[in-house]
Amino acid sequence: MFLRLVTDSFTRRPRRKLLTMAALALGMAVATAALSVSLDVGDRLAQEFRSLGANLLVTPQADSLPLQIGGVDYRPANAGAYLPEADLGRLKTIFWRFNIMAFAPILDVPVDASAMSPQPPASLLALGKTTLIGTWYDREVSIPDGTTYETGIEKTNPWWHVEGNWFKDNSADCVVGTALAKRLALKPGDVLNVSAPDKSTGMALTVVGILTTGGPEDDAIVASLGRAQQLANKPGMYRRLYVSALTKPEDAFARKDPKTMTPAEFDTWYCTPYISAIALQISEELKGTDVHVIRRIAEGEGNILTRVRTLLWLVTFSALLASALAVGASAAASVIERRTEIGLMKALGAGSGLVGVLLAAEQLLLAFVGGGIGYSLGIVLARILGERIFGFTPTPNLFVLLIILVLAALITLLGSAFPLRRASRYDPAPILRGE
Amino acid sequence: MPTTPMFWRIVRRLLTANYSRLFVILLALGAGAAVTSALLNLQIDAKRRLTTEFRALGANVIVAPRDAGTDGNGATLDEAVLGQLPAEHEGQFVPAVAFLYVIGEIAKAGELHFEPAVIAGTQGPGITEIRPGRRTEYISSLENDPDACEIGTKAATQFQVHAGNSLHLRNEGRTATCKVFAVVATGGAEDTQIFTRLATAQSLANLPGRISLIQLSVTGTPDSLNRFISQLSRSLPAVDVRGIKQLAETEGRIYNRISGLLSATVILVLILTSLCVMAGMSNVAIERKNDVGLMKAIGGSVRRVVRLFLAEAILMGIVGGLLGSAFGLLVSIWLGKAVFGVAAQPRWIVYPVSVAITVIVSIASAFPLRRLASIRPASVFRGEA
Repeated sequence: MFLRLVTDSFTRRPRRKLLTMAALALGMAVATAALSVSLDVGDRLAQEFRSLGANLLVTPQADSLPLQIGGVDYRPANAGAYLPEADLGRLKTIFWRFNIMAFAPILDVPVDASAMSPQPPASLLALGKTTLIGTWYDREVSIPDGTTYETGIEKTNPWWHVEGNWFKDNSADCVVGTALAKRLALKPGDVLNVSAPDKSTGMALTVVGILTTGGPEDDAIVASLGRAQQLANKPGMYRRLYVSALTKPEDAFARKDPKTMTPAEFDTWYCTPYISAIALQISEELKGTDVHVIRRIAEGEGNILTRVRTLLWLVTFSALLASALAVGASAAASVIERRTEIGLMKALGAGSGLVGVLLAAEQLLLAFVGGGIGYSLGIVLARILGERIFGFTPTPNLFVLLIILVLAALITLLGSAFPLRRASRYDPAPILRGE
Repeated sequence: MPTTPMFWRIVRRLLTANYSRLFVILLALGAGAAVTSALLNLQIDAKRRLTTEFRALGANVIVAPRDAGTDGNGATLDEAVLGQLPAEHEGQFVPAVAFLYVIGEIAKAGELHFEPAVIAGTQGPGITEIRPGRRTEYISSLENDPDACEIGTKAATQFQVHAGNSLHLRNEGRTATCKVFAVVATGGAEDTQIFTRLATAQSLANLPGRISLIQLSVTGTPDSLNRFISQLSRSLPAVDVRGIKQLAETEGRIYNRISGLLSATVILVLILTSLCVMAGMSNVAIERKNDVGLMKAIGGSVRRVVRLFLAEAILMGIVGGLLGSAFGLLVSIWLGKAVFGVAAQPRWIVYPVSVAITVIVSIASAFPLRRLASIRPASVFRGEA
């Protein structure tokens, strides 16, 4: 009889039920979309921030003071210490190896450059001093566990823009900064002669592209690391290493000095992708190095990420609250409309409890159906939002479905609880009289 | 209208007849208005605050010589350019610092061993904004000394220098002395540099009145940053004004994504809130069947009945909107503090906007009352649905 009453109430007056369900589905759709987007958005934004470039810098311990302005080191090749290139695969063996997004070693060599004059008769034009930056471009690094990993400068410094082509690894090609190219009227295809200032080494490089970075590299030559090592006569060596790592924003715990932590605290810290923990792991793996956190990037990123996350959760929460209110209100409306029915049931001998359970069962059924429809609508909405704003599709999450169903049930029950309580106390006589 | 006093009397009675109902509707409208104004205000404030947060990344605009010189050692600018930069952009202070880089040699006072280092002469307001980081040592009394200088933390370790020590600077036979007032840690290339007065670096480099470049930190949306750059390059045609690509591109992308997400969510929440208010109002309309039946029975035209309810809706919309929006603004100030650590500034434009939205929503929710026009008094009084 109970089931018959419930099914009858759905089949006899579908219009009214449809209205309540529509409100529910809409509210839950918004809740689903907001939840799925904010669950994914943190990671997405963290990756977005990696286009700011490296957040860790590795230099040799016991080095002389770098003569660095912007991103270029002006030290002569015979000053300071170097690091072995062969060790770099070990970066991908640290605890947080999957958070290492990219790395690129750099060797700057001061050079004298000259170019062949394009007009006949061919003559050598001296172009003066500049810097040759040796680095990796799409280099396959072999990792001690037997796999390989592809990385390079255009992954650590994604704002570097090359017109033409990048040089191939270990080829005699190079890209030339836009300011230098303008000054020397260089274009792709030209040949550039470079030599160390003491003329001990020299080579010819083919220009394959023009580089724009907005920094001092615009006035330099960028070629593969192997060429720079030949010029500097430092085979297998590099001067500094840029590492771009995905990290968790630092909180109060991360700022504690690891030396004062208890063993348990240290384990937690070590196993959290804080930038300081990753820095420590890198220096454990690459002996004889200092690993510096590029504070400007790391802290700026951390602050903004924390704030945006809080903000997004706040807005998600208010979306949830608003949909809860909308659903609650329509649930309340549907109960009030059925006063006469409730009066009739009571007149026929139903107790307040039975009436309450019956109505609650109907509302719950509504909640599950409406919540399910709302979830599927919400996934579509989240897709649209995700693609339009972030260019990614949030993966449908069963966890979100669970939350949405529980939420739908809770708020329909809460929304109808107050009118239901009133309804179950109705005196049938006045209602049936139409008062 | 001859019946105006009567009209308002009925409206008053409609409002005051059932206080609990009035309270529920005002609560719904007020809550809606509060959410609207809080979110709108927070959204505007958050976008602005975000652009400020990005400034923690340091300078984002560079003014440099148009041609990098023919000798490869870099060209220089006239230092007078610094004075020609705007001090403000769209009401926000623009920190601008001129730099002259010299690769010279330094030694701690009292020691004879000189080592090469980058000496950066600086001048202009806002060095801490241009070069974010912290000062690990700082003696404020020395800061205004004419020979004061700062030293990067790596350089300080290398030369074993602390705040309060003196440094000898040397370049191609020219020498100078400076007093270290701070040790700075930025994690970047600045950690290896020595920051002196511009005049000190100029005399070391023998380039009086010249600078290498100017760095600026401009607060604003990507569009406003581009406006700033194009305005400046128009007013200073002799120099090269450009955004730092590393920051500008990322900032622009992240800003657009976050603000797009915020706007989308806020619009969705606003639609939901109005739906919620409408559901509440139509609830009330159904309860009104008897009133309408009676009014019609004693000769009220449909138009007049609808006008009555509209007047009621507008009145409630105004009251609910005024109270709710004010409350929402207060909430958003507090929320701004929770998210960004700085109380959100109330934007006064938000207040009328959210009151207007509330009134529109409350009129729209009187829409179901149109159904009442089809009510036949007789069936109502017979107790039929």
